[in-house]
Amino acid sequence: MSDRPMDPSPFDPIGVQWAPVSPRLTTVRLATLAMVLVLPLLGGVVAAALSGLAALWAVPGVIALLGLWLALLIPRQVHALGYAERDDDLLIRRGVMMRNLVVVPYGRLQFVDVHAGPLDRLAGVARVQLHTASASSDAAIPGLAPAEASRLRDRLAARGEARLAGL
Amino acid sequence: MNLELTWLRVHPITPAIKGWKVIAVLLAVLVQQVGVNVTSYQELSRDVGPGPILGVLGIALVLGFGYAFVAWRMTRYAVDHDTVYLESGVLFRRQRSARLDRVQGIDLVQPLLARLTGLAELRFEVAGGANSSVSLAYLRQQDAEQLRSTLLARAAGLESQDGEPAAAAPERQILSVEAGTLIGSLLRSGFVIGVIGAAVVVVVASVVVREPGLTFSLVVGLFPIAGFLWQRFSSEFGFRVAQSPDGIRLRHGLLESRAQTVPPGRVQAVRIMQPFFWRGRDWWRVEMNIAGYVKEENKASETVLLPVGTRAEALLTLWLVLPDLGAEDPRTVLDEAMSGTGRAQGFVTSPARARWLDPISWRRNGYVLTDRAVLIRRGRLHRRVDIVPHERTQSLGLHQGPLQRRLGLATVTLHSTTGPVRPVVEHLGTAAAAALLDAQAARSRHARAHAAPEQWMRPVVVPPTGVGTPPPVTYPPPPPPLPPVTHLPPPPMAYPPPPPAHDRGEG
Repeated sequence: MSDRPMDPSPFDPIGVQWAPVSPRLTTVRLATLAMVLVLPLLGGVVAAALSGLAALWAVPGVIALLGLWLALLIPRQVHALGYAERDDDLLIRRGVMMRNLVVVPYGRLQFVDVHAGPLDRLAGVARVQLHTASASSDAAIPGLAPAEASRLRDRLAARGEARLAGL
Repeated sequence: MNLELTWLRVHPITPAIKGWKVIAVLLAVLVQQVGVNVTSYQELSRDVGPGPILGVLGIALVLGFGYAFVAWRMTRYAVDHDTVYLESGVLFRRQRSARLDRVQGIDLVQPLLARLTGLAELRFEVAGGANSSVSLAYLRQQDAEQLRSTLLARAAGLESQDGEPAAAAPERQILSVEAGTLIGSLLRSGFVIGVIGAAVVVVVASVVVREPGLTFSLVVGLFPIAGFLWQRFSSEFGFRVAQSPDGIRLRHGLLESRAQTVPPGRVQAVRIMQPFFWRGRDWWRVEMNIAGYVKEENKASETVLLPVGTRAEALLTLWLVLPDLGAEDPRTVLDEAMSGTGRAQGFVTSPARARWLDPISWRRNGYVLTDRAVLIRRGRLHRRVDIVPHERTQSLGLHQGPLQRRLGLATVTLHSTTGPVRPVVEHLGTAAAAALLDAQAARSRHARAHAAPEQWMRPVVVPPTGVGTPPPVTYPPPPPPLPPVTHLPPPPMAYPPPPPAHDRGEG
């Protein structure tokens, strides 16, 4: 059989130059993670300290371990994010353990969203979401510099129009 | 073209029909409240007398019909040469306009009450997710049918003479589903057989332990299942498929009847499937994705192309929506897709190492590309074939989990519009997955560039009147694939050999 496990990864099509997203996305995601975990962690510590039960320390321990693991994972996830504009379609790649690649033809684009939350704006990143007529095409590029996000949005809109998006 | 819109009202009986809905809800609440405890109702009527209770009911009646009447007064619609407009809403006014050439389907829906009064609701579906339709309820049935013809003719890109109503397109019934077959198909589902098995176990157990309460609890548990089966039966009862230049016509429904028209080129994907227990009869079910028809819980009848039928009937309905599969010998390829395994007929299947992830179906899971569509075959026990025309692929996805990476496998997803069909090719070898992704991107690009126009009649030149041609028709003769309405079988084609409905009994 030609397709042995040693074959090159299908997530790296030949001749595709992947553009990375901004490393500032790592900061945003780490900050979000910290904000989500800090309250349960504090609560767990307080509860364990007040009750005096040694077993209760397991709760903040597990939360801290989870946080540590995610904190190590996030930089790798951000590093794995990438997109590539080809002549007729846009490729988006993501995921370290569960790897995903989406191919969105420009002619199928219905609309494009640019989204930036308060943390994103502080760090200077934005998220570009591509919508086709299919609800299952989950095509989003998080962590773009705002200028790059606007450029991409306008370019995608122009290309979608040029290719007469029907259904 | 008339620039002045002519606003019309829906039929004045509408509030009398819609009002009952409000009252039914109120009554349901009342019965639920009172029915829980009949003695409390008796106490209530003894304490306050029947007067106040009747008064409350009267107020409910007035409110229900009053609201429905106001809503009717404030609803109006209009149709011009390329758009349908609807204004509605009592407190929150809503104006909706939908372009006719964006039509995905037109349904005539008749709930029981409307059926008795000869009214119908016309639903004009456009692609926009749930609640995207323009619903005109209720119209007189002839008016609704006339309006449907007009809308379809204009959506098809035909110029109709002003003031002259568009003629209804000719249509020919292709097949119908017998009630007995439908009941048999429901009884043969794995679900029902499992329930019967469980019921036998429970009854035996209750006899053995001498506890009749067990059997009673079983009866209570059967109610929702019976409800599901009844829903399927009543919505798919009397299923008929007809062909017309407007597209396909689907009629079905026992109490609430529904006549759907799906114009050509609106079907985004088709699934042919066979539950395990249908295999003895070689029965198949066909469903489809149409943009705008969002599958609701327990209300999936809008996306059914054939509730149950033989292999030939299933292929016939497939041929109706996808006349050209782009394969040299479509019947052989389809047979292979429906019940084959392995790599015959150009199928690309999972490599042997995929047996660790899918020990049952790995030989069967696979795809084949034709010039016009991709056929995806899945499931050893519950067989499924998903067919997506190349120009209807929205986007493509490639997915690989950690186990798949270790084995050198990947899963390819074709993203279609929301609906029952979700085409996925599981566990391909990585090279095959990459090749499919590449080939499919190129093929769908090419197919889109050559796709038929949305106004499906536009390229047909309507012959000028009075030059020796047949009498002028506002609706043109059917396009090439469809002969004029006759009782002859459809024209010869590569697949399927379509037997006319009335000849089927002889074989």
